[in-house]
Amino acid sequence: MTQAASVDMTRINKFYGPFQALRDVSLHIPPGKVTCLIGPSGSGKSTLLRCINFLERYDAGEIRIDGQLIGYDTPGGRLMSGRRLREMRRDIGMVFQQFNLWPHMTALQNVAEGLERVRGLPRAEAEAQARAALDKVGLGDKTANHPARLSGGQQQRVAIARAIAMQPRVMLFDEPTSALDPELVGEVLAVMKQLAAEGMTMVVVTHEMGFAAHVADRVAFMERGELVAAGTPAEIFANPRDERIRAFLHSYHERNAFEV
Amino acid sequence: MELSVLQQYGPMLLRGFGITVFCWLAGTVLSMALGLMIALAQRYGPRWLNWLLRAYIEVIRGTPFLVQLFVLYYGGPLVGLRLDALPAGLLGLTVYGSPYFAEIFRSGFGAVPHGQIEAARAVGIPEPSIVRRILLPLALVSALPALVNFSIILTKETVILSIITVPELMYQTQRMSTETFRYLEANFVLALFFWGLVETISRLGRRLEARVTRHIERG
Repeated sequence: MTQAASVDMTRINKFYGPFQALRDVSLHIPPGKVTCLIGPSGSGKSTLLRCINFLERYDAGEIRIDGQLIGYDTPGGRLMSGRRLREMRRDIGMVFQQFNLWPHMTALQNVAEGLERVRGLPRAEAEAQARAALDKVGLGDKTANHPARLSGGQQQRVAIARAIAMQPRVMLFDEPTSALDPELVGEVLAVMKQLAAEGMTMVVVTHEMGFAAHVADRVAFMERGELVAAGTPAEIFANPRDERIRAFLHSYHERNAFEV
Repeated sequence: MELSVLQQYGPMLLRGFGITVFCWLAGTVLSMALGLMIALAQRYGPRWLNWLLRAYIEVIRGTPFLVQLFVLYYGGPLVGLRLDALPAGLLGLTVYGSPYFAEIFRSGFGAVPHGQIEAARAVGIPEPSIVRRILLPLALVSALPALVNFSIILTKETVILSIITVPELMYQTQRMSTETFRYLEANFVLALFFWGLVETISRLGRRLEARVTRHIERG
């Protein structure tokens, strides 16, 4: 696999008009590790994730992928060129909550598209690599299916294949299992665990506390646009020092507990 | 009704119908192409261009085709634009249809989920490829019924070309009427031809729709 990259975020601020979505967020994402972003909805964790590949423009601060600033030529300077941004995005895979597969293309075409248009591979080579990526997520037999003919879990695995086929150095997951029926969550998490075991740098926004607790190397808790705490799963889940984290986990447990 | 006059005028009416179909086809293709360019320019161009095109759309949509054609054909020579009837008619149809098509494409673009465009950007696909490979195909699928609908409307707008002497079906029908006083028969034939044309287009449109949506909606 290509070298896993680190991500360094320093004092990130982001505004939507007068609303401040991110306040001075600083977070180090170590290479080859899984970092989960958790917190209540509206806390800014998805926004932060989307800033990493500059789908969302941050207004102040710096985000560096292996030391390379993304989005701007210099900190606080002009926007970087589209070409340069695309080059950086090649190294950053992204998986969305709603899968966002292209519905008019087969699973194979969805994965091969980037290999052809971005990496410039000839059709046959792109399709061979796409097939390999689909094999890896366990969908080698579904290459000819259009997204409408795949379950949600299968669609999300195609979306993961689309991202890993580009051989990224960082993978971003934006609530990858939130749109799935409960019984389909497992197959997607299994593929993510496999990726983690291979040493991919992963940043995962998730409500799957089990995944965060068992797979993540680091967990960061956000609330109201602020990073409240970051640490090992044990530090965050077992004995959280901050009252806000305790309240969040408490309501989570209450929602998910049931007795018969 | 006395349909025997058709023996004499039939070939002429048929030629007229041929020209009608040609004008419709060329006018539709050209105005659709221009409409697409307008919609793309509005989406990706600078703000001043968007404003200019918006004005163009409002002016053309706000005036009758008949008036536009008069201005083009009889007013054109005053500014050095001297066109024969047929090219003038095609240019007129193109200008007249383009804003409607532009609006249809704009709503088609709007129907493409933004996430699918973002996914393409996240992969690093260049914007022109995103337009060609993802935005356009998906926009076309959702815009197809409206595109077919407006193409059908355009079939009947071609009759207006008769006032600038394009020898299409309406023109020939009027000639037959004034020469034979068979107004009813002439207009009956006219209606029949148009109905046949529209029915054909509408069937083709439905077939095309079924074809392009076969993978997109769960079958």
